[in-house]
Amino acid sequence: MDGKGLNRGQEVLRKHVLDAYLCTGCGACVDLCPYNRSYRGKIAVLFPCVIDEGRCFAYCPKIEVDLDELSMRFFGKPYDGNPLGAYQSITAAKAGHRIKDISPQAGGTVSALIYFAMIKGYLDGAVLTDRKGLLPVPRFVTHPGDVLGCATSKFAAAPTLSAVNHAVKEEYGNIGFVGTPCQILATALMRSNPLQGDDFIDPFGLVVGLFCTWAVDFRLFEPFLAERIEIDRIRKIDIPPPPAEILEVFADVGTRLEIPINEVRELVPKGCSYCIDMTSEFSDLSVGVMEGRPDMNTLIIRTDRGRRIVEEAEREGYLTISKLPEENMKHLVWASGNKKRRALVKAQGEGMVNTETDAEKSYLRMSAEVLERLIA
Amino acid sequence: MKAKQLSKDPFNIIITGVGGQGNVMASRILSNMLVNKGYFVTIGETFGASQRGGSVISHIRVSSRSAWGPLVPKGRGDVVVTLEPIEAIRVLAHYGNPAVEVLANTRAVYPASVTAGESTYPTFEEIKEMLKKLAARVWLIDATDEAVKLGNSILSNIIMMGALSAVGHLPIDQDDFTAVISRTLPLDKIADNLQAFALGVGMMKEKRRQER
Amino acid sequence: MSYLTDKEEGTSYLVMGNEAIVRGALEAGVNVASGYPGTPSSEIIDSLAKVASELDLYVEWSVNEKVALEVAAAASFAKLRALCAMKQNGVDVASDFLLHLAGTGTRGGIVLVACDDPGALSSANEGESRYFARMMEIPLLEPGNFQEAKEMTKWAFELSEEIRQIVFVRSVTRISHASGNITYGKLPEKKRRAEFKYDGLILDPDEGVMVSPPVGWKHQRQQEKVKKVREMFEESPFNTYQGPERPDLLLITSSACYLYSREAISILGLEDRVGLLKLGTTWPLPPKLLTKHLLKTDRVMIVEEVLPFLEDHVKILAAEQAFEVGVKTFYGKNDGTLPMSGELNPDLVIAALSTVLGIDYAPVSEDYEQSAKLFASVGAPVRDLVFCAGCPHRASFFSIHNALELDGRKGFVCGDIGCYAMANRPTGYRTLKTLHAMGSGTGVASGFGKMGQFGMDQPILAVCGDSTFYHAVMPALVNAVHNKADITLVVMDNSGTAMTGFQPHPGVARNALGQEVPGVDIAKISEAIGARVEIRDPFNVQETRETLNNLIEDKNGAKVLVLRQACALSPQRRNKKNYDVRVDQTICVGEVCGCGRFCTRIFRCPGIIWNYEKKRAEIDEVICAGCGVCADVCPQGAIIREDVPKR
Repeated sequence: MDGKGLNRGQEVLRKHVLDAYLCTGCGACVDLCPYNRSYRGKIAVLFPCVIDEGRCFAYCPKIEVDLDELSMRFFGKPYDGNPLGAYQSITAAKAGHRIKDISPQAGGTVSALIYFAMIKGYLDGAVLTDRKGLLPVPRFVTHPGDVLGCATSKFAAAPTLSAVNHAVKEEYGNIGFVGTPCQILATALMRSNPLQGDDFIDPFGLVVGLFCTWAVDFRLFEPFLAERIEIDRIRKIDIPPPPAEILEVFADVGTRLEIPINEVRELVPKGCSYCIDMTSEFSDLSVGVMEGRPDMNTLIIRTDRGRRIVEEAEREGYLTISKLPEENMKHLVWASGNKKRRALVKAQGEGMVNTETDAEKSYLRMSAEVLERLIA
Repeated sequence: MKAKQLSKDPFNIIITGVGGQGNVMASRILSNMLVNKGYFVTIGETFGASQRGGSVISHIRVSSRSAWGPLVPKGRGDVVVTLEPIEAIRVLAHYGNPAVEVLANTRAVYPASVTAGESTYPTFEEIKEMLKKLAARVWLIDATDEAVKLGNSILSNIIMMGALSAVGHLPIDQDDFTAVISRTLPLDKIADNLQAFALGVGMMKEKRRQER
Repeated sequence: MSYLTDKEEGTSYLVMGNEAIVRGALEAGVNVASGYPGTPSSEIIDSLAKVASELDLYVEWSVNEKVALEVAAAASFAKLRALCAMKQNGVDVASDFLLHLAGTGTRGGIVLVACDDPGALSSANEGESRYFARMMEIPLLEPGNFQEAKEMTKWAFELSEEIRQIVFVRSVTRISHASGNITYGKLPEKKRRAEFKYDGLILDPDEGVMVSPPVGWKHQRQQEKVKKVREMFEESPFNTYQGPERPDLLLITSSACYLYSREAISILGLEDRVGLLKLGTTWPLPPKLLTKHLLKTDRVMIVEEVLPFLEDHVKILAAEQAFEVGVKTFYGKNDGTLPMSGELNPDLVIAALSTVLGIDYAPVSEDYEQSAKLFASVGAPVRDLVFCAGCPHRASFFSIHNALELDGRKGFVCGDIGCYAMANRPTGYRTLKTLHAMGSGTGVASGFGKMGQFGMDQPILAVCGDSTFYHAVMPALVNAVHNKADITLVVMDNSGTAMTGFQPHPGVARNALGQEVPGVDIAKISEAIGARVEIRDPFNVQETRETLNNLIEDKNGAKVLVLRQACALSPQRRNKKNYDVRVDQTICVGEVCGCGRFCTRIFRCPGIIWNYEKKRAEIDEVICAGCGVCADVCPQGAIIREDVPKR
């Protein structure tokens, strides 16, 4: 429409991400405009948009992501390919004694952090993921009490960032966000003022990332489970740490199903296999499971503001911190590094990294040396 | 009644515009005025789909000798009356010739593709240029603006009929118009229509006076 | 009082071809008229309905053309005079009954008026109805001007009564919708009484049963009638010749092409070289008449539209008479002199004559032509057909399109005939992916709905209008339900037969004569057939879209969604706004990311215009119909709708 020929709009996004099946449904491109929508876990383009440079392209974590630029902005140093990303410290954590009425996935750390930040007024709202039946749905909460209801992992990819887009439109300025690595990467892009607006303000008050190896496609996951159990009866889903190799489904009346993980792997969207980030490297804080301790979390502190909130929460009894055992640390590094390497080899092999010109869109851009080292 | 000889026989008038502008009514009224003067008149038109925003054309064949077919042959338009400016350009592509005369309402109705940004609508200057290059005489009439002042934009077609009558090719006048509409229109509409016709006559007479 | 019922013989009026046909029927003392709306025929029944009470006629908009012809036939069986009018496709629909009716024969004069649409000016096809006269072996008449349209129709009733057979009068758009002066004849005084006699001998045409068997005997009798008519056509005043005794070229023509041919000859100054034989009785062809004219010259051109119907029959006749007339050179469609598709016009006939007779003719100079064409290409952007401002179909297709995109499984819509057929264009977001005949959308969808066993996993939708539902969709819906086809039928109920001029249909509680009658409820019928039925207002786009997704995901056989909202041109909505609508210029963002001119570029209601200078959208108050849907479509909430104060 403006004819600058940048080709950084919906048309190119469709060609390189949506039609190439790279989309993981993070929702960053959804509800910015009337063209992109999400429905039952899948992003749909309703009509073609002819704008040459758009936010959908800029926010998408699967196209033209300059890792050096992002790393400089948020961590003050170039991207070095560290398996866990940049961080200040790693601990074990769980919700403190002052958090009541919570049925968390594991340690309840995420809920505790958001709850705490809200009651202290550091956030004017938080974008979380709730669920309707099996379908994960984005949810913007403004009451701290609503936070606890959104606990537990969802496993199916959710377009949670669309709720951020809504909240920003309604002029919320201190938004808390909890999401998966691809979503966290998108928040980093959103926060970097990609369209170089003069009156840009970073709307995020706190970004909490989750650990993720892969997610499942909801439209495949629902019929897959429905074949085995009535969807309405499901209370919780979990993937216990190796060597279990199963997906556990907890239903009512004490029912528990075990499904071989290999069967579930067939339901993973193609885009996940290109993801180089297991621990949400661009967050303020990252939270994941702690192997061997199903009642606790691993907590990675990355930024100053993240650290401040953790320390305050611990002081006031909303969070309990303890040392992370060396074994856990080693395994985490190993697993993250593996995911990164596997994905980079695949992306590099398919010509998606560091393409020659801007005309040939790249998925990732990073220093050539770092890339070489990582895929060696 | 023996009809007065025409400058050309058959005399071909093309009334064009966009669906919904009152093309059909205008062509009916004009034709009935001419029939009353003893002429053979044939009108060629299409209805239905054209209402939905498409271009509409009425071909009017007037003759003192016999009735002709409903379609004007290529290059044989004598007068083109258009309720929408670019429709005249469209019509002249097929029916125009160096001697044709054009009466054009100046109010644009944008095609959907223009509003959607897929094609461009020529500027008013460009339209004037093109019409002047294709026609012997061009009269631009602000019929819609005047019709709105009278209280109803649809009266623009009657204003154009009044203007046409004052050009002089056809021996019709306000009285002929009055005779036709008193038979066909409901009482409460007659006054407005008479006013519109007279307005059109006046506007054309003024333009012709200025030409001399 | 209509000018069509003027009792004074000899008065002259400027009338439409269809009105001339009506006047002819009135002068013949027609009692009953039936039809189904179809351009270019609709004005015939519309006009007859307007004068029905004055002249004590029964006029009916039937549910479809087959039933319309059956209704007219009943009148004929009861010794009344009946007229049945339809467009070319109506004859296709009525053909099964027509075949049998031609077999039983008729009693009171009955005329079938078929109005073809060469060039498909208001149709999805340019089918030829003339072949049905040949196939059904009934007389075919084609009026060549307006006076003839009247005279022929009147005479057709007399002919029909004489031979006890239905007579086919074929008109075209350029006669039916064109207008010209005609002189009226007398209106009859006599009244008829209806009575159906059936006690006579089985083969008694006036008092026996009206059954088509014994087929052999009745078919022979039918063919005797054809022979008799052929004799009568030899002397018909509807066949005329103008031109020299020994022309260079004999031009044989019929219908509107007669007018084009006459003008072409005049423009080229060929009155002394071309003989113009206009045929009004075009099947069966009178052999003696044809032979007489074929003897005049060896070069023959046949001008007609659309297919070479006349041409082929003239050639057959020429072959049969070869010993007498000699070898002829024929010019027409088969040899490419004239096109075999599209409508004709004077220019095409001029071109044909120029080629055959070696004449140079250019209406304007090369320079003028180039300039005019160039200016048209840059200065006259094409006007695509669009749904009217406030049309419920725009809202419906917006929701259907979005529901299918969100569903994401490459679902599609099988389309049908009516205003909503335009949804295969940008105005309906190009939603329709198949488009054929009345009722075909549901029939085709019913087929697609059974292809799951071959791996088809695309959601299947069909659309139809309210009038179309009664016309032909009902049997297809029964088929879908009974065969458990997984389809969603969206019935766009806008309370009338809109495309053809808003005639009533069985769903409306009012008939052609303006009388109150029971309306037949689409939703109830669909439920009775066994479909899952939902009813929504398409102007509520959010709810409609959600309902559609819900129905599409329901895998249990056929579902029907009735989208009920009156047509923007209907009496209840025309010039009555629900809302005053405006664009808040401070909120509208226009071209930037977040909008991309969604209302004018995508939604495309003609009531919204784009101000290229201010770079903002605006509402055109003259065109806007006040439906308010755009307020829900604008992504920024810049379009404001306010209730119109009730007066």
